[in-house]
Amino acid sequence: MESRRISSSNKIKAVVVACDVVTAFGPGVDACWKGIISGETAISELKRFNTQAFQSGHAATIEGLKYLQKDSLVMQMFRLMFKKNPPSVPKDAKLILATTKGEIDLLEKKFLRGKGNASNANLRYLLKKVSALAGIQDSGIIISAACSSSSAALARGASMIRNGYSDCLLITACDSVTEFVYSGFSSLMALDKIAARPFDKDRRGLSLGEAASYALLMSEARAKKEKREIMGEIKGWGLSDDANHMTGPSRTSDGLIMAISKALKSAAVVASDICFISAHGTGTLYNDEMEMRAFHSVFKKRIPVYSVKGAIGHTIGSAGLVEAIIALRALKEKTVPPTVNLKTADDDAWGWVSDKKKTLTRNNAALITNAGFSGINTALVVG
Amino acid sequence: MINIHGIGWITKEEYGCIARGEKIPYKNVVEFDSFLRKRIFPCPFKNFGRLDRISKLTCYAIALAMKDAGISYIPQKRQDIGIVGAGDSGSLQSDIDYFKDYLDCGRTLSRGNLFIYTLPSSPLGEAAIHFGLQGPLLYTAAPEEPLRTAMTIASEMVLSGETPAILAGMTEDGAAVYFVLMKDSVSNKNILCDEKDIRAILNKGMTFKKMIKELLNLRKGNN
Repeated sequence: MESRRISSSNKIKAVVVACDVVTAFGPGVDACWKGIISGETAISELKRFNTQAFQSGHAATIEGLKYLQKDSLVMQMFRLMFKKNPPSVPKDAKLILATTKGEIDLLEKKFLRGKGNASNANLRYLLKKVSALAGIQDSGIIISAACSSSSAALARGASMIRNGYSDCLLITACDSVTEFVYSGFSSLMALDKIAARPFDKDRRGLSLGEAASYALLMSEARAKKEKREIMGEIKGWGLSDDANHMTGPSRTSDGLIMAISKALKSAAVVASDICFISAHGTGTLYNDEMEMRAFHSVFKKRIPVYSVKGAIGHTIGSAGLVEAIIALRALKEKTVPPTVNLKTADDDAWGWVSDKKKTLTRNNAALITNAGFSGINTALVVG
Repeated sequence: MINIHGIGWITKEEYGCIARGEKIPYKNVVEFDSFLRKRIFPCPFKNFGRLDRISKLTCYAIALAMKDAGISYIPQKRQDIGIVGAGDSGSLQSDIDYFKDYLDCGRTLSRGNLFIYTLPSSPLGEAAIHFGLQGPLLYTAAPEEPLRTAMTIASEMVLSGETPAILAGMTEDGAAVYFVLMKDSVSNKNILCDEKDIRAILNKGMTFKKMIKELLNLRKGNN
């Protein structure tokens, strides 16, 4: 990915012209949106591997995927997504793949079944497969920024368009629920026994989920020239790090505040322009507290906040992109989704979050926040 | 314009700072970590011993790059400086270490302190915590020339004002190199060269050892 400008304007808009997801609600944005809006949870008993030794036995997994078989889980997800709704991707599109663990089940297969090679789990091989599946010429790049991976990738793609380095990018993201990942989160005592309850007074932890997603970004000019439907704009972004702790969020929220402030500035909007926030909202005690502290600091008036993780689980590297796609849908439908599994909002979230969907009276811009291990924060403004 | 303010590097045999023209051999030292820790980090590095090898090399190279650029740090005092790190194999070795340990424990217990290094971005996170770097942080990989990709992302982030300064580099095969990038409007002090000079060297696609030699020549004005 060479640094070569195709345009010198810094006012180019980066717009989303196509997108899709496959989540535990099944393939498609419609399925995911309907599931979340109806207040359902896709978190259920996990049957993929033995969970007896773990802190939980539940996750939001996609039905029908075959574990430790020929294809990795994430490649099965990509195939499912691209088969149902094949993206019309121009051959000259640049490719970014966001993930944390990619095809880690191929490494598991080597150690559990003696099949294949551990190095098959190298993310570069996955990138090559995704590039071939999407039918584009660019060999692409990987972006990995823990649970902020795909929002960082979206920011990167939008930045490349705004600054004239490209006018078409395919942003893809994926992560899956495997024994490797599940055992790790369990060892960190990060899991809710049954299902995540973001921003609830009695929240106990997160629920893992899996997803693959993509968004095709174009410059507004190219989108119009190709007569593409414009689904929304990536208006601004901000990335930061807490520089505080590897797994624990900041106790001051200054990292997330910095990311949000940068995103608002990048989008040339003020806090009062934001009509709702799609929060990271993992359901862990400290993450949700950290986010609410940041929201109280930046937004002087209460605005609707929701998390989709009670519905589709924490989809790790895919979370930011799935959440951005859902936020764009929410703007289109003029509806703020409910926070699934919320019973009693925690004191700091009271009046901000709701277990009910809400009608939007304005739909100018939405904020999406994500945070991950190593203290990585991202904030995106879409509209 | 983007300038390079410092470059730090380390291999299995030596380490150094490009602007300072330092190239220090250490292969004969008895205690690899304790020797380097005292020599390289100006401030004590908490829990350094528990870091995986990639994280240690990354932190060494970043410390040397910051020293080369004249950027001082105090733990707990944060600066808006980002890190973009690249690699060929991500966290593959740490993945193997974690999963083998988990299997050895009968698939019942796993160690959180091994799990955290199974993210390719974790070595960068360790550096951000120790050096107090609060700017954007991400890991990148590309089929060819991952270091060039990291430099491209980093320079574009600085150019577009996402962060005033950034470290970009790569850790792989027991070696690491990190560059400090800043826009000329941010600082005119300690400029080593233009970012394009580095790109010209990286475009040659040479081995790590040869690249360091070329970078040292750059300081002497021989490039």
